[in-house]
Amino acid sequence: MKKTAWLNVERRSVTSGRLVFAVSIIAILAALVVAGIFFQIYGVSPIRAYQVILKGALGSRLGLAETVRRAIPLLLIGVGLTIAFRALFWNIGAEGQLLMGAIAAAGVALFSGLPDPLLLPVMFIAGFAGGAAWGLIPAFLKVKLGINDVITTLMMNYIAIYLMEWLIHGPWKGPTARGFAYTDQFPRAAWLPTLYGTRIHWPTLVLGLLLALVMYILVTRTRSGFEIRVVGENPDAARFAGISQLKTTLLVMLIAGGFAGLAGVGEVAGIHHKLLGPLNISMGYGYTAIIVAWLARRNPLAVIITSFLFAIIISGGDVIKVSLGLPFQLINVFNGLILFFLIGSEVFIRYKVSFSFRGQ
Amino acid sequence: MGWETWIITTLSRTLAYGTPLLLGTLGEIYAERSGVLNLGVEGMMIMGAYSAFTTAYITGNPWLGILVGGVIGGIFSLIHAFASVTLKANQVVSGLSLTMLGLGLSGVFGRGWEGKPLPNPISSITVPGLSKIPILGPILFEGQNLLVYLTILLVPLLWYILYRTRIGITIRSVGENPATADSLGINVDRVRYLCVFLGGLLAGVAGGYLSVAYRPAWTEGMTAGMGWIVIALTIFAFWNPAHGMLGAYFFGALYILSFRLQPWISPEFLKAMPYAFAILVLVVVSRGTLQKRMGAPAALSVPYTRGEE
Amino acid sequence: MRTRFAVVTLVAMAIVFSLASVAMAKEYVPGDPLKVGFIYVGPIGDLGWSYAHDEARRICEATFPWLETVYVESVSEGDEGLYIDKLVQDEGCDVVITTSFGFMDGTLEAALRHPDQIFAHCSGFKRNDNMMTYMADFYQIYYLNGLMAGALTETNKVAYIGAFPIPEVKRHMDAYTVGVREVNPEADVHIRWIYEWFSPPAAKEAAQALLADGCDVFAFTEDSPTIVQEAAASGDASFGHYSPMYDFSPDHIVSGQIAHWEAIYLDFLAKVYAGSCTAHNLANVDYWWLLQEKAVEMGAKPGMLINPVYDDRLKAVMVDDPVLGTISVYDLVLKRLEQMSDPSMVFDPFNGPIYDRDGNLKVPAGLRMSVFELTTMDWAVDGLVGPWE
Repeated sequence: MKKTAWLNVERRSVTSGRLVFAVSIIAILAALVVAGIFFQIYGVSPIRAYQVILKGALGSRLGLAETVRRAIPLLLIGVGLTIAFRALFWNIGAEGQLLMGAIAAAGVALFSGLPDPLLLPVMFIAGFAGGAAWGLIPAFLKVKLGINDVITTLMMNYIAIYLMEWLIHGPWKGPTARGFAYTDQFPRAAWLPTLYGTRIHWPTLVLGLLLALVMYILVTRTRSGFEIRVVGENPDAARFAGISQLKTTLLVMLIAGGFAGLAGVGEVAGIHHKLLGPLNISMGYGYTAIIVAWLARRNPLAVIITSFLFAIIISGGDVIKVSLGLPFQLINVFNGLILFFLIGSEVFIRYKVSFSFRGQ
Repeated sequence: MGWETWIITTLSRTLAYGTPLLLGTLGEIYAERSGVLNLGVEGMMIMGAYSAFTTAYITGNPWLGILVGGVIGGIFSLIHAFASVTLKANQVVSGLSLTMLGLGLSGVFGRGWEGKPLPNPISSITVPGLSKIPILGPILFEGQNLLVYLTILLVPLLWYILYRTRIGITIRSVGENPATADSLGINVDRVRYLCVFLGGLLAGVAGGYLSVAYRPAWTEGMTAGMGWIVIALTIFAFWNPAHGMLGAYFFGALYILSFRLQPWISPEFLKAMPYAFAILVLVVVSRGTLQKRMGAPAALSVPYTRGEE
Repeated sequence: MRTRFAVVTLVAMAIVFSLASVAMAKEYVPGDPLKVGFIYVGPIGDLGWSYAHDEARRICEATFPWLETVYVESVSEGDEGLYIDKLVQDEGCDVVITTSFGFMDGTLEAALRHPDQIFAHCSGFKRNDNMMTYMADFYQIYYLNGLMAGALTETNKVAYIGAFPIPEVKRHMDAYTVGVREVNPEADVHIRWIYEWFSPPAAKEAAQALLADGCDVFAFTEDSPTIVQEAAASGDASFGHYSPMYDFSPDHIVSGQIAHWEAIYLDFLAKVYAGSCTAHNLANVDYWWLLQEKAVEMGAKPGMLINPVYDDRLKAVMVDDPVLGTISVYDLVLKRLEQMSDPSMVFDPFNGPIYDRDGNLKVPAGLRMSVFELTTMDWAVDGLVGPWE
């Protein structure tokens, strides 16, 4: 137990699911209250602002469709991240892995010359491979050379961004793009079908939901899942039990990177139908998914809920831009506050905190 | 226009552009040396840039702006310190949340400040006698400003403190083995708070430099990823201020060259170099003995609790 | 269990909602109050492209009492479809105006989705029954700026910093170079690309790179006054772009290009109000408006064609023109401006013969370039030095 002049922090021996849930809810509410202050500064009552946001993000057909569409990449990446986080692999590189998946899919769509029915399936396989490869490099570096995973995954993001920029300015610049930095549009057979009148590319959504279920089963009921959990919770015990850290780390990053790659395929095959500027494709999904996975407490099934929640926030950002004339950046403030309150609240979960006025 | 002038002007611009990189890196080195990974540098930089610009605009005094920028960056970093050190939260996530917050807050408050010209930016200086020295003169003493020189002076100072003073040993031991440091009576938490604050302060000053001296102007998101380069640089420098200086100017040169060499080399290639180099450097250094001498602080990003384990 | 139930509910909601019928927004009736939505690619505070469009929007709203407008700024490319839908369905806009080339495909898809609404796309080339295109182009003004640059350069190296290597920017670079060479056959135009519309640090370093190469007059396509400031810091001349940038350098800015998008907007919206432009007859409507339609203006600020600081220098440089005789650059610029503002467009910068920098004859003597050739222009005029992609 640690004592300072005013704060006692004592490790809890047991954490209950209900406590976790309650603390998370309180954290989010606290974030919403603080964010409300910013709305007030702009002269908009927070109540009205949240009403507009909820109505805009959920209360209309268009709004709900947009929210679901935003949830798709968050879901895929988030599920992958829960697996990686379980093994204590801090994958900050989902942005880059998404982009590599997008690049791989674009390559197949534009240059492979495959017959139409094969295009989309091969694009998904290629996208998975691209993202997985990008994720495996940092995994390898961590296990074989002991190099910090946060740094390597972060750096790889930027390498991926500049790789994509080079492609769209150079060898892959589309002849029909009239000199702009885009590839040509994908052929129609490489377009994902969307739910009527919306931008929901449902195959990717279904894939995400399925993978969430599969990963849940993997983690809770299979041997590999068991190994992943042990590596994450007690690396020494894992070593003692003969669990190969190399194999486990590579497996989790294969999954995390691959899923992010799939999200990339979904974005370019379902929304953009071409490659454009990398930031217009990844749109911070890779970073937001970190919060999504975090909030889901590393439970793949819970990601379904949390990805939807954050999709509401993003959608809300679009709404406030149009209806309230508020700066879009407010959403970053939102996300930052939520993330911050969440991790701040962790202390109440892991430790029992009490105040004392006794000195040391 | 010969080779000589080309090199001189490139190096001169490198000095100007490398200064904020160096400032941020020096600060992050200290934070990480004490064992706290601060991924919120970008957020602190941009908060510094915003507050420095508005202060300079309102008061007409750019140096006051720089000061305020640094202080705001420092205060911002205290949030990260509180989360990482006192609440023992995950440092990666805490840092990321501060980056988001910083970008968001500066974007929200900065609306309406875009496009305003600063009446009194930090002015360029040409040192009378020294600027005539062949080669070095035009690079170092012509068209730079006081902040550039102050930053250069910081390097030996911070190096000396880190490696040759008691304070430095304290900091390094907290980062390598906090349990031992604690048993020697060192207040681990306080050291970490101070180092993180220094990191935020310097990041804020770096941001202020951008908005009050380098450009000078305010634009949303104007740090454009410089904070992430700083994180890469910190590794590249092996957590050593002297190497940090070389690294900052090297990375700065890469940016400048991406424009100079545009007719011949793809700019994306040059812009990706800093990040690829950071990884390369880590790989090269990871081999055994070298790591012992030049590796990361052992306790980096691990929260310390007395009596645990 | 709770999680699984929630999942099923969400998916069901999505499906149900998708199958529900679309609420179609109604077609506009001429004479009714008109609501127009504007979509910008950048922030209106950029003092560049988006700022100019927003100024025009304000002028329209002030001019027409029956007009109501709404705008969305900083829309990423790829997102325009979503905002168009919001403007049409949630805000009830009758007309949506998208102001960036990158919005082209998204606008077209939206036009097909909302056949009763009217769409206007800036700087593109795809149209539909309910989607027209428009552009206020600067190439004539860049030519005039080039004339002045050729006269003012003392190093015979003039700079042009461009955003993207697209036909619009290349056309402007070519027009500029034609002007420079007309006055000064020894001068070259040096190029650098930024690969972004708005990036002050990149603009700054590109300017520095060209300053180091010896350039002393600066023109550019970038949405900030950074290059004006950089040039001024070295005492060099520059031409403002898009918005009045005079205040950033009253001592060194020479002239520039100013957009008056309101010329187009006022014309088009009035026609929509009157019913002559509807959601069914726009397939061939393409505004290609220039000096004579007053959609663009030369100057560093409205009403000031040339900065008086430079009058003497421009009057001192003489040029021999086959038609006009020996004439000072100052007078030449004003004369050409008059010729191009004339409804019959007596003069065009791209009058043949014009050679590209590889020596090929691209425009034969006695001919001009067609609008199509102008909008797809991708070759470099003789005199341009540097990367072209």
